[in-house]
Amino acid sequence: MKTTLIDSPVANVANIARALRVAGAELDVTRDPETIANAKKLVLPGVGSFIAAMRWLTENNIDTAIRAAVNDGASLLGICVGHQLLFDSSSEMGTTRGLGLIRGEVRQFDSVLPVPQIGWNRVATSGPLFEDVENSVFYFVNSYAAMNTPDEIARADYGGPFTAAVQRERVFGVQFHPEKSSAAGLRVLRNYIAWT
Amino acid sequence: MDVIPSLDLLDGQVVRLLHGDFARVTAYGDPETVLDSLGVPRGSRLHIVDLEASRSGRPVEKEIVRRLASRGLRIQAGGGIRSLADARTWIETGAEKVVIGTVAADSPEVLRAIVNDLGADRVIAAIDVRDGIVRVAGWERDAKSSLAEVFARVEQLGIGEVLITDISKDGAMRGPSFALYRSLRTKMRIIASGGVSTISDVVSLSRIGSVGACVIGRALLDGRIRLAEARARVATPNAIPERIIPCLDVRDGRVVKGVNFVDIRDAGDPVECAIRYEAEGGDELVILDISATDANRSTALDVVRRVSESLFIPLTVGGGVRTIEDFRALLRAGADRVAINTAAIRNPQLIADCAREFGVQAVVLSCDAKRAGDHYEAMVRGGKESSGVDAVEWCRRAEELGAGEILLTSVDRDGTNSGYDIELLRAVTSIVRIGVIASGGAGNVEHFRDAIEAGGARAVLAASLFHDRRLSIGDVKQFLASEGIPVR
Repeated sequence: MKTTLIDSPVANVANIARALRVAGAELDVTRDPETIANAKKLVLPGVGSFIAAMRWLTENNIDTAIRAAVNDGASLLGICVGHQLLFDSSSEMGTTRGLGLIRGEVRQFDSVLPVPQIGWNRVATSGPLFEDVENSVFYFVNSYAAMNTPDEIARADYGGPFTAAVQRERVFGVQFHPEKSSAAGLRVLRNYIAWT
Repeated sequence: MDVIPSLDLLDGQVVRLLHGDFARVTAYGDPETVLDSLGVPRGSRLHIVDLEASRSGRPVEKEIVRRLASRGLRIQAGGGIRSLADARTWIETGAEKVVIGTVAADSPEVLRAIVNDLGADRVIAAIDVRDGIVRVAGWERDAKSSLAEVFARVEQLGIGEVLITDISKDGAMRGPSFALYRSLRTKMRIIASGGVSTISDVVSLSRIGSVGACVIGRALLDGRIRLAEARARVATPNAIPERIIPCLDVRDGRVVKGVNFVDIRDAGDPVECAIRYEAEGGDELVILDISATDANRSTALDVVRRVSESLFIPLTVGGGVRTIEDFRALLRAGADRVAINTAAIRNPQLIADCAREFGVQAVVLSCDAKRAGDHYEAMVRGGKESSGVDAVEWCRRAEELGAGEILLTSVDRDGTNSGYDIELLRAVTSIVRIGVIASGGAGNVEHFRDAIEAGGARAVLAASLFHDRRLSIGDVKQFLASEGIPVR
């Protein structure tokens, strides 16, 4: 099955494409809403600003296309800010609505540790996305995170617990960068590609 | 590990004496105000030293201990306790424990009487050590017994906690005696004291198995350590692994290596090296382009492009970055972060501009520091030329401007295999909150530990050591893990 990588300009698409290919994906990189709406396996990348990333989705009708695909039974993996976009909202600059595919809100770290978090962090994991991950330490770059969410499948701690990954039925999200997390990250991508 | 604030009291005030000298007093105000400003919560342990009592043998700060105990603080009181009567006085005023110093080391029969009367769990034995020798009577003389004898005696009485102060380190902000604490073999909980001056010191102590608590005095009062942050860091000491970073010095598309930034020779293909390092467990890769001319800059971009295509760990690239456009070109070529050096010293605004344009996580300040008398100077042009800028101050300023991390290279140690410059590292890590990558001087596995443990580095970089296979990244990580330092 083809994996469709959403070609967002607010994302590190090239790095993620490379990692997905190494993980075994047959890749379609696109920003065409119709192709996205008809996709069976989607990846939504994102870095930087939640607002900018969400604005691009809505202005180009990609948000509607993603919802249509998911309603149609497609699976979806959000990465970093792509993961954050899955939630109801983010508190970045007031409140900005997200895709609403996962319950919860993304908030700025209220941590005694320096923000942004930049670096590796140990993650407590569960579920099919993390099957056969030998050493669940992943690479994070984030100032915002969802915390204590009902669909959490992985949790890490940065001066307080936060949601490192979520799954609700066919929708997955990972706050870390699998494309920068060496073998553990590639394993997660491989698991997503193989998941049905 | 418990983090225990410590207050020295004199004439009803919180004070610090410089080197134990009663003529050189810094006053911080009344204890309640100080505790509130430090954010010490109810139920917290609090270490109290009655300086008048330690000088004259008369406990005088009883009223303060009574007041603080009634605030729900669990007080361990000490200072010149020479008799059972002294010890009882503190317990009667509400202290949870007494801290027994000279008597514990020199008067076994008095110590026994105190333990028999109050119970061993009410007693903390305090042992001051200088160069492995127990010192007593306000550090004035050597104790009659050796450290091992004192330990055996205290342990045999059933005392569970022993407070160890390395007095050559106390208050001097040079860091705790990690080597001393590592060397102690005991079933008792060690309370580390003396020299704790950074959050990193607290974290490092928490990783030493026998250390169950540490007391912090001046560093809290001076605001170098925030109690809440220290407690948060030691609550999950193993979550965030320390990073080992192999470095490739690249010139004209080839990996090269040199000693003290000169005498350079060819050492291989960058892509092959990068793949090997990731497989060995490198947590990040640094590529420093040391091409001499602009003409070769495009070669460097090509190297970055090729390496990033084969690499699934973060990639930091530095060398010859002069403008925001150079920075952008490297990110486009596949770098996750870019290190700026000479250009930033000439134009500090470049750091702020790049942080705004690409985010702080992308901006690394590369600082080549060389000792110049009693300070360090930031060097430019590949470590060859002095900039006249103070290196430590420059690092502090770079953090303000928006650098996300500092790659700190000791030009003096680079290529010498004699160990990282711990003093340089401490000078920087004690004044910035962003991470510092130690670079220059790695020769053995202990050097990596020391850079993290004593230097406060959040990552350790080496080039030729890994390249020549004198050590593998795996060797380093295995050793660090055995020393209680978390690695990926």
